[in-house]
Parts: sequence; C-alpha cells; structure tokens
Amino acid sequence: MTGLGSHFKIILTLSWRNLWRNHRRTAIMLGAISVGVWAMIFMTSLMRGMVDDMLNQGIRNLPGHIQIQHPDFLDDPSVVNSIGEPGGELLTALTQNGTRSWANRIRVPAVIASERESRGINLIGIEPAAEADITGLPAQISAGRFLESNQDKGVIIGAKLAERLETRLGKRVVIMSQDPDNNIAERGFRIVGIYQAELAAQEEFNVFAARATLQKLLKIEGLVSQIVLVDHDYRDVESLYRRVEAATPDGLEVKPWYEIDTYLAAMFNLMDGFVLVWVIIIFLALSFGLVNTLVMAIFERVREIGLIQALGMRPGLILYQILLESLLLLLIGLALGNLLALVTIKPLESGLDLSAVAEGMAMMGVGSVIYPSLTLYDVLLANVVVVLLGILTSILPAWRASQLDPVRALNTH
Amino acid sequence: MATKIFKQNTKVLFCSLLLLGLLAVSSSTLATEVPAPGPRELIRAAMEHWRGVTSYSEMTMTIHRSDWERSFSMQAWTEGDKLSLVRVTEPKRDAGNGTLVKDQSMWTFSPKINRILKVPSSMMNQSWMGSDFSNKDISKSTDIIDQYDHRLLKSEDLGDHVVYTIESIPHEEAAVVWGKEIVSIRDDFILLRQEFWDQDDILVKEMEATEITIMDDRTIASRMRMYKLETPDEWTEMIVDDIDFDIELDANLFTLSNLRNPRQ
Repeated sequence: MTGLGSHFKIILTLSWRNLWRNHRRTAIMLGAISVGVWAMIFMTSLMRGMVDDMLNQGIRNLPGHIQIQHPDFLDDPSVVNSIGEPGGELLTALTQNGTRSWANRIRVPAVIASERESRGINLIGIEPAAEADITGLPAQISAGRFLESNQDKGVIIGAKLAERLETRLGKRVVIMSQDPDNNIAERGFRIVGIYQAELAAQEEFNVFAARATLQKLLKIEGLVSQIVLVDHDYRDVESLYRRVEAATPDGLEVKPWYEIDTYLAAMFNLMDGFVLVWVIIIFLALSFGLVNTLVMAIFERVREIGLIQALGMRPGLILYQILLESLLLLLIGLALGNLLALVTIKPLESGLDLSAVAEGMAMMGVGSVIYPSLTLYDVLLANVVVVLLGILTSILPAWRASQLDPVRALNTH
Repeated sequence: MATKIFKQNTKVLFCSLLLLGLLAVSSSTLATEVPAPGPRELIRAAMEHWRGVTSYSEMTMTIHRSDWERSFSMQAWTEGDKLSLVRVTEPKRDAGNGTLVKDQSMWTFSPKINRILKVPSSMMNQSWMGSDFSNKDISKSTDIIDQYDHRLLKSEDLGDHVVYTIESIPHEEAAVVWGKEIVSIRDDFILLRQEFWDQDDILVKEMEATEITIMDDRTIASRMRMYKLETPDEWTEMIVDDIDFDIELDANLFTLSNLRNPRQ
C-alpha cells in the first residue's frame, strides 16, 4: 500500500473538495452529526449527574460508605440488636489515617407525638461533631440550630414532619420507643432545629437526637446500633473495607455500601453500559443520514469515478478517498458537537433546577436540582463510537464505488 | 379489626377507670384527713387514696360521631392504680376481648385469634376506635404527681363543697405533649373537669364529669365525657352502671393466664 502513503496529500485534497461540492448537503449532515453528538454527551452528563446525585444521597442516607453492625440489625433494626461502642483494635483502625471520618449511630423505630398528631419515625442518635461529614445534616438546618454535643437534650425534625405534627421550632414533643426489655421508653424533647432534606420522605421519617441522650433513654449505655465510616470516594472503598473488616471483632458484620443497598450498586454498575447503549442508539439514527449522504455523493459522481479509474486510479484509492471524505465529515461534526455540548453543559454545572417536576424526581430518589457531570470517559466513548461506527457504515458505499466498472460508469449518462 | 381497635383503646379505659378510682373516694372517708390545699398534695392525696382500693364495675362506653354512635358494655376489675383487667361483654362480636395492665405493661387478648399480645410502645399513643380518649390520658396515673409542677389557681366555695382548680405544667423532659393541664377537683376528690391545653395556650380537649352519684356508699363521677374542642359534636362517654368497692379479688385475677381463660 505504498500508493496510499505517497498519494495521501492528493487524496486528502480530493476528499476535502468533494466534501464541499454540495455544501448545503454537507452542512445539513454536519448539523445532524453535531446535534447527535451533543445529545450523546449532554444527555449522558445529565444522567451521570442524576445517578451521582442518587448514589450520593443514597449513600448519605444509609449512611456512610461502610457500616459495622450487629449481623441481625439490617433485617431487624431493633434496639436489641445493638453493639458495643468501638474499642481496642477496631478503634485503632478507625482513628488511623485513611478513614476520612466515622461515627457511632443509634437507630431505632419510634413514635413521635405532638398535642394533635403522632407518627412513626426513625429515631437516629448522632454524634454532632462527626455527623457533618457523614450526612451533611448541619447544612440542611433551615431553622433553629444543630445539635451541640453528644448530650444535647434537643431534637431535630424535618420541616414536613413538623407540618404533619402541627408543631414547630421551640415546641416540645414526646418520643416513645422501647428499651431492650420491651419496656416503654419515652421522654419529652424540645425541638431545637428543623431541617429540610431534598426528599420529603426523609423529612417526614428521620428524627435526630444526641447519641448519649438516646442511650440513656433507651437504657443502652455503652451500646450503639451502627458504626458508620466515610471514605474519600465512594467508588473506591475496598482498601478501607478490608482494613476495617480485619480489625472488627467476630460477631459483628462489616458491609460496604454496595452490599447494603444493592439497588444503588446496580445503578452504579449499570451506568457505564447504559451510556454505551444510549450512544449507540443515537448513532443508529445518525448512521442512516450518513449512509444516505455518502450514497448520494457517490451516485452523483459515478461518471467521474469511472473517469478517474479509466485514467488509472486504483479502486483501493477510491475506497480510501470516500472513507476519508466520510471521516472528515465525522470529525468536523464531532468537533462541533463536542463544542456545543461543552457550551451547554458548562453553564449548567451550578445546577439545573427541575423543581417543577420535583415530586416525580423524588420518587426516583433524585433531588430537584440536577448537576450535570461531564466525564472524559463519556466524551471519549461518544467520539470513538461515532468515528469507528461511522467509518464502518461508510465502508459499504465506499466499497461499491470502488468496484464500479469504468466502462459502464463512463457511459452512465 | 375490632380486636385491634380494642387493643388501642384499653389504655383509655384504664384512664377512665383510674379516674373513676380517683373519684371513687367517698367524702366520708376523706373527711377525717382533708389535705392542706397545696396543689401537689391535693393530687397526691387523691392518688394515695386510690391505692389499695379494689373494685369491680360494669360500664358502658359510648362513642358518638356526627353520623354514627357505638356502645360497648364491659366489666372491669381494679386493684390500686397499677393493676386492672377489662373485658368486653357487648356487642357480641367484640365480647371476650380483654386487656390486662400491670404497672407500665399492657397485654391484650382476643378470642378470635386466641392470642395474647403485648402492646408495643408504638401503639400506646393511638386513640381508640376514633374515640376521644388517647392512651396518653392514663399516663397521669401517678406520673402526674412527679412529672408536673402544680399550682393552685383558685379554690371556690360552692356551698357543699370546695372546688380546687389546679394548673399542672409538665417538666421539660416529661413524656407529656401538653403545654399544661388544668384540673378541677372537688374537696371530696371528685375530678370535675380536666382540660388539656397545647403549648400555644389553646384548649385542645377536655374531660368533664357530667353526672355524680353515690354507688356502693361512695360518691363517684358516674358519667364522664371526653371531647375535643375542635369537634364538639364528637365525644366519648363513660358511664358506670354499677360498681362494688373493697371486694375480695382472686390472687390470679391479674395474670396472663386469667386474661386468656376467664375464671371469675
């Protein structure tokens, strides 16, 4: 194929000029490709943003990247299935460098009552200092204050729950649960803070109090429900997981987030495949336009191709020239599409507000603001797929052009 | 369904029972030891008097709503303020449902499923069959002495009796949702009225003794009505049809096996 190399410049010039012979058709095709590529990248980044949000929120609600708990706790989150506060080897492993943060948590089902209403809730005992990094709760406080210490006597409830209970900041509510002997444990709490979560369901369900206060109420001094760990990146928790598991005493269960919430894990794993399928679907729609453009371009040039063949150009070079023409078309389209995607995504990175459909989004576990997430992987994937499959679909028309019989071709018109 | 409803409501019954007990103290027995009208002592004295008293009563409870009304007949045994047993006798489909209360624990028995269930804390706060009693109402058993600050608002001399009006404000950590309760007690310890105020000083519901009679030589409030102020045409009424005091009770009366297999 030495011919290809030495003739490259001529072939390139021919392709380029041919491309602009019917500039309107080329422009339309460029438009189609760039819009297609834009759709691939833009929609993918939206989906990535949504899934990231879902994963982050989901993991924050679990909460944490890794949890240590009683083996029966996940199936039966009762106060009976408590574990001791960490000590010894486990405590060392937890406080060692490499754990971003960790906290003890108490979680029991309870009932909260105001003067007019009572509702079932998930009562969560937290360590205020550690919590900021784990759930981001302090940032969600919309009125009042966050808990101040492990012994804080106040309680923080969601705005929605306050509405349901017909109560508000500064009022007293009664919280009832059970101690490990099945006796009623109840106490009055003053509402010191109201929080607003992205999802109304959480606002209604999760009530936060200080860890030590709840231990006293539930008569489980020295015991907690869970130990929660947060690593630097939820995508990579393996090393921390292995280290903590090795240090955890027998009889306790250590689980990373993807084992606790398999739905989240499935979302996470499916996403790459989903992006590929999406890109290919858009490409399929594009490919019809692309093939049609090429077929038309060749159809118009049958005599011409016959002529240059008769003048001595080899079929291989004709194939080469048409493929190059297609490649140029694709590359320009890609450049435009990428640019378009970049221009549209960048301004939206501060968040795309979809509060008009917030309820539907909440059902999916997604907040009402989407933060598009543009990843190099997705951009490369879209570009590579378009170039590879684009060339592939161009081969057939190009090959047919190269196989024209010069005599017949010259006599076509 | 009826079982469940009954379960939720039994505590209310005890509330009423307890109050009955509170009221059951006859003026004659008290006359010798009229307490100094310190509000806390007044309430404590009423409670103390209830202690050690046994009773057997037959009662009717009526739940009234704007478009329907329902009545239950029931038998109740009590001993002091810690032990009580209630059994429904009418209507037929609810007959046999029983509830036992010992201290803070509560069990229910339903003949339909032939099971004893311990009532969990999550159900303690529910109201009964849409009645106007809430289970919280009984937590005043003896808690009301220690978990509230009491203040005597006024004492009125109504000729035969002096009526004390006491304002009770729950402590910060008390398991009480009310902002305050206002209790009117006659000097013979008949609870005339109990008002439940929310934390914005709005009256939410009240219980009122609407009929006071002498039964088995004691003065009791034989008819009591509980209603919420927002819905005055919805109320629940407890009527004591008959009551005997200081009776011999079997040692096994307040046991789970007796709850399941009635022997009296």
